[in-house]
Formats: sequence, structure tokens, C-alpha cells
Amino acid sequence: MSPDVPDIHYRPRGAIASWRAGAHPSRQVGALGAFRDLVPFATYPDARRIDVRATALDPFETTMVRRFRQRAAIDVYALVDLSASLRYQGQAAKAALVRDLCVVLARSATRTGDRFGLIGCDAGMRQECFLPATARRAVSTDVAERLDPSRWAAAGMVKGGMQPGAEGLAQAAPYLAGARKMAFLISDFLLPMDLLRRVFEGLAMHDIVPVVVRDSTEEEELPDWGLLDLADLESARRRLVFMRPGLKRRWREAERARQAAIRQLAARYGRTPVTVIDRLDIDRFSRDLMEA
Amino acid sequence: MTLGVDQPWMLVLLPLVVLPWLRSPHRRTAVGSIAVVPADHLSAWLGHILRGAGALTIGLIVLALSSPYAGGRTVSRIGTGAQLVLLLDRSGSMNDTFAGRTPAGAEESKASATKRLLREFIGRRPHDLFGVAAFSTAPMLVLPLTDHQDAVLAAVNASDRRGLDFTNIARGLGMALSMFAADRPDEHHVILLVSDGGAVIDPHVQDQLRAAFARHRADLYFLFLRTAGSKGLFDTPAPGEDTPQAMPERFLHLYFQTLGIPYHAFQAESPQQVEEAIRQVDALERYPITYTERLPRHDLTGWAYALACLPTLVLLAAKLAEARITPQPQVLAVMSPRRRKAA
Repeated sequence: MSPDVPDIHYRPRGAIASWRAGAHPSRQVGALGAFRDLVPFATYPDARRIDVRATALDPFETTMVRRFRQRAAIDVYALVDLSASLRYQGQAAKAALVRDLCVVLARSATRTGDRFGLIGCDAGMRQECFLPATARRAVSTDVAERLDPSRWAAAGMVKGGMQPGAEGLAQAAPYLAGARKMAFLISDFLLPMDLLRRVFEGLAMHDIVPVVVRDSTEEEELPDWGLLDLADLESARRRLVFMRPGLKRRWREAERARQAAIRQLAARYGRTPVTVIDRLDIDRFSRDLMEA
Repeated sequence: MTLGVDQPWMLVLLPLVVLPWLRSPHRRTAVGSIAVVPADHLSAWLGHILRGAGALTIGLIVLALSSPYAGGRTVSRIGTGAQLVLLLDRSGSMNDTFAGRTPAGAEESKASATKRLLREFIGRRPHDLFGVAAFSTAPMLVLPLTDHQDAVLAAVNASDRRGLDFTNIARGLGMALSMFAADRPDEHHVILLVSDGGAVIDPHVQDQLRAAFARHRADLYFLFLRTAGSKGLFDTPAPGEDTPQAMPERFLHLYFQTLGIPYHAFQAESPQQVEEAIRQVDALERYPITYTERLPRHDLTGWAYALACLPTLVLLAAKLAEARITPQPQVLAVMSPRRRKAA
């Protein structure tokens, strides 16, 4: 990833609680940051921050100390759906999009002073795609290697008796235990609503940012007429579809309804989804992130 | 109507008709999840129809490869008359006239006269079963027993072609007898032997023939075309000449009489006498007969290919109607290569 690419600007929702100094507003009171209040020296015995003017003005001659809002660091996790459906190749390869997004996210996080971690899941947790949160600057290189497009599950693959799918996302919650974290849930969200609900419930205490990776060929650029022999990347099942304007309309309606349902579900647990369509536009992503 | 195939081993390929259910002939369009595609009855029906068309095409082509046919079975028919084998002498002398000369002008050879008269004879007996055999040095099977008059007439027509070498009556009779069924007492077998010369039959061949006649139970009519000046059947031998080598015709006649079968000998010295003899045969042989015959087959390969055409056209139409989810051409840059604003 070239260093010319801008960083992703993200802001955790609400004040965070962390001892590590960083870039995000926190509930932590400290010696640096924005001014918070004046307290007696006995309450906050920091001789460096004695406010001479306030001390002189105090009628009871109490020594006053200035306190500041400490800015803190947060752990950023990318929770990546490694199921076969992300092998989709439309305008772009979804897997490559996801990898690029995670690389930029890792670099942005470590440059901001936050720690970045990676959890890859398909039918279960994928240990070879797991990176515990780290502040190492080189983590983006590790991410690029761990999220090579070949890491995504193969179509219809049943590995160790497990069915294809993204059931592993629901098992990731224990890896995010502890303090409140930012979790980017990166998937195409072609998942059963029940599974999505369980994933959101498991991560409810964190700041979940759903990132929907989509492709315009999945909806806008469907043909009006003709036969399509569709093959499910997940289950490898085939289905013949006779496209015609009526069916295309119904298809797009169903797709819109599904997106709306995802948005509704995500909103209930915090944020509305950020959508990446066809190409990764970092500036737009950052803007959407601020609005989400 | 019976159906059959010529190459049944080709039908081993018939299980291939399940192929449309195992593999899809269409261009694969990968999607993340087909669950997002709304259910569509028309598409489902179309899928079934195309699979059916594929199976039908494969099935019909395999069937066509195995060369199907209709008919070709054997039928039993009943005629009135007899089963009659014309055993014709094809030795060279048959091409001479009754006077023993090469035919000149309006003269008729023995073979031509016989042919003409036999044609009339056959024409009068439409329900007979005729077979034709010829003999000279060796016997020749011309036509097995059949009721197809055209074939019989054609065989008789060919009987006045240039003749061959000698006269070997014994083997000719053997072949004529072999054309009859051995164990059918309900059939009536007749051999009409037309010859212009006798031949000596070996004693042991005589015994074999006797046994064959007993087994096949055939009536024998010997139409002897006597050439002027030659010896006849009924001639009384001069003293010292009473040997088979000197008078083969006489001894043949005597041998036939000992066979213990209905035997008639006619000695004809002119076409008129031949006609008279044949008329007598005609009058004598009137019996009901049953015979079996194979009906011709109808080849159905073309039909199978033609039928396979229809589902193939359906499949072709489906193939041509295939659509593709085409990405609009655009730069597939994953990220905008914009430079960051000067920090």
C-alpha cells in the first residue's frame, strides 16, 4: 500500500476509558489536553499544574490545580468475514477490497497511536488470520499478508465437518473482551439475519462499525433480459434465472429491503453501516464514518 | 409393430441422460448468495424444461447411434398350392434348341422355352411358394422359398443366360431338398427338375439322396428335355448297352422310381410337350400350405436424429439467450491515487 494513500479518520463514539494516552477524547483526567476544571491541590496533587491566578483569587487561600481532559488511545479491531461469498468478482474483487481497507485501517490506527487487531472468521475463528491488538507500525504489512485473497474460503468447502458460512463471527466476542473497543465488522452481509443479530448482540458493548462491501453488478447492473445460471459462492448450488424487467425490479426491491433491514439492525446497536461499493475511496470512507 | 436396435451395446450410454442434472451447460455466473434472488416460478419451470430437453437430446442421440428400426419380424402366412422348388439345369447344352443346334433366327433354345413356359406356370399359381435352384457342375442357390412372384420371375428370367459346364443332378437335388423344412408334415414339397441330360449318380450318393428324400418328403417331377437324337428316359436298351454310363437318363429314371416318393417323369421333345408337362404339374399340385416370412425393416435412425433436433434447438435458444453480468468498463483502481494534502 503506497504511503500516498490518506489515512482513515475515525472517532470512537462517546468518551472512552483508557490509561494509554492517545488521540481520542476520554473520561480520563490528566495533565494534558483540553482544560476540564480547577480542583484543590489536595484533590489532585500535581505541582506542575498549579494555577497561580486561581490560587491568588481564592478567598480561602486554597492552592488550586488545573485538570485537563486526557486524550486516550483505543483498540481498533477489524472483524473480517472470510467466507466464500467474498470471493465475488464484479467491478472489483471484494476480497482485495477488504484487504486494502484493512491495511489502510491498520496503518491509520497505528499512526494515530491506537492499537490494531485482526480477527478473521469463516465457519469458525481462523487462527492464521488472527492478530492481537498491537501498536507496532509494521502491523499493516502483517495484515496484508494475512488477508491475501487466497485466504478466503473456497466455494462449497466443508472443512473439518463445518458447514460453509460465517458462523465464526458470532464466536469472536471473547477475543474482544475487556475495555470498550472499536470493531469494524467487514463483510458483504449476505448472511442470515439471525446470525447478524447474534454477532451484534455479542459485540454490543463495543463501538461496532458495520462495513458493507458491495458491488454495483449485484444490483444496478443486472441485465434486463436473458438467462443467468447463478452459482452460489458459498454453497456452490446452482440456480437458473430467466431475467426480465419484472424480475429485475423484484430483485432490486428485495435487495433494497435487505439493505434496509441490515441498516435497521445496525442502528439498533450503534451505528448505521458504511458501504464500500466497487472501489475503496478513503476520503469518502472517512466522511461516511463521521456521519455514521 | 416391433421395435429393435441393431447396436444394443450403444445403449450402455443411456445413463448419460442424467448429465443435465449433474452439470450445467450454461455459463456460470458466481454470486455471493442466491438466497437474495427472489423466487421465480417461470425460471424454475424453464430450468426443468431445459434439463428435460438436455436429457431428451442425449437420449435420442444415443438411441440414434444404436440404429433403431421398426418391423423386421417373421410372419406366418397360408397359401394354396405347394412349396415348389424349380431345379433348373444350367449346363451348356440348355442353350441349344431341341434339335441340338445353336438357336438361329426365330428358333428357341431349350432354356428360353423353359423360361417362357415356367413364367406362365408361375403366373397361374399366385399363392405358391417358389424357390429356385440351378445346377451344372455345382449347385447354385438362386432364391429361397418365397411368395414374392417378382423375385421368382426375376430368378427364372435369369435362367436362360449362357450355361456352364456339366450336369450334376445329385448335388442339385440335395440343394433343392435342403430348402424344405424337414419336420413339417403339413407342408407339401415339390421339386420340378428341368434337365436335358441325365447323369450317373454314385451308389453312395444315391443312398444319401434316398435318405434326404425320406426326410423331406418331396414330390419329384422330372421334366426331361430330350434333344433330337439323344437317348430318352423310356428307351429300351440294346443288348450290351444297359449300363448307367451308356444310358444315364434311363438309369436316373429307374433310380427315381425306387425312391418311394410320388414321382412323375415327362419327356418333352418340343416346347409344346414342355407346356403340356407343366400343365399336368399345375393340375396335380394343389394343397394348402403355411409358410413364414420376414417383413422388411424400417430404419428409424433418421427419425431419432430429427426428433433430437427439436430439444437441441431449445437448448441452442437457451444458450443464445444467456446473459452476462458485465462490469462497466472503468478503471479498477482500488484507491484514488490522490496525494495527501500537504500535512
